[in-house]
Amino acid sequence: MRLPVSIPVQAAALLAAAGLCAVIGNAFAGPRRHLVWTASPAVAPTVLLLKSEPIPDRPQSAPAVKIAPTATPLPKPLTPKPTPLEPVKAERPSQPVREITSAEAWEAFQKGAAFLDARRSADFEAGHIQGAFGLPVWESTLDQRLVEFEAKANQPPEAPLVLYCSGGSCEDSHLLASRLFQMGYRNLLIYRDGFPDWQAQGRPVVLK
Amino acid sequence: MRRWLGSSWLTVRCQIALGAIFVVAALPKLLDPPGFAKAIHAYKLFPAWGIHPVALFLPWLELIAGVLLLLGLWVRTATIWITALLVAFIVALSINLARHQPVDCGCFSTQEKVKTEAERMNDMRWTILRDLGMLLLAGQVLLAARKKP
Repeated sequence: MRLPVSIPVQAAALLAAAGLCAVIGNAFAGPRRHLVWTASPAVAPTVLLLKSEPIPDRPQSAPAVKIAPTATPLPKPLTPKPTPLEPVKAERPSQPVREITSAEAWEAFQKGAAFLDARRSADFEAGHIQGAFGLPVWESTLDQRLVEFEAKANQPPEAPLVLYCSGGSCEDSHLLASRLFQMGYRNLLIYRDGFPDWQAQGRPVVLK
Repeated sequence: MRRWLGSSWLTVRCQIALGAIFVVAALPKLLDPPGFAKAIHAYKLFPAWGIHPVALFLPWLELIAGVLLLLGLWVRTATIWITALLVAFIVALSINLARHQPVDCGCFSTQEKVKTEAERMNDMRWTILRDLGMLLLAGQVLLAARKKP
């Protein structure tokens, strides 16, 4: 069958058909398959910066070091000290978002910090850290889940929140941190090695 | 040889192969747009506001172009779109390869794969080769379609 239509018109028609199908398909998609057209994954430059470069301490928490002109010998260069995990009712941390090690994540777990799982809901259901709250950062239910989390957990902005995804190159926990940072949370601890490491360490998990 | 390369026997097979590949590639993305959005995000080529629209639109373009090729309708147009998509995929992978930033291709699956960086980089090279192979198929179809009255 040959339709007497020029190639540019056909090309435009094909594009239009794809667009229409996308609109209709998305309108009827279930909550796990639905995407909000205008929404975008929260990528705050602050959080992405923190992946490789920790934010320097604020002036009030780390006063500027003045080197006295007569001082001999020169003071040792300041090395960043690991910020200890703080209990739930903590003071404002010097770094609002930072990556933590497996051992720090375990310490936070023992201290009762809230754990947030940024992976897809199917992955969360298949297995997650015991007591973790699922906040699938790529799903359109995220906003609703965040509201539920806020209502359920009732965490102050300074309370430590441990965020994780599937480790390796997974950036979902960073995206979630960005979102929570925008919501005002200021003690976001990104457990970089994530669920695979937690499971490998034999720590408490909930499996399907 | 030249005649064989332009034969309708070969063209039909190239057309069906390309159509089937694109239909198969589109289905997992259509079934899991958030997973595909995540895959697109990993490429770090699109602005944040463009990721969801691309994730929703692109699989349908692949599917429709693939189905048209399978049905033998608007073959030239469908092949032009498929060629454009293949070139875009090759460019996207090449940029990330040059950046030494390993990404999951997201071509036939939206599931996150557990792989080392070296394995991912190797996969990216093979994917570029595969896409170049598909470009040859598309070239054959376009060449044959041009000869038709």
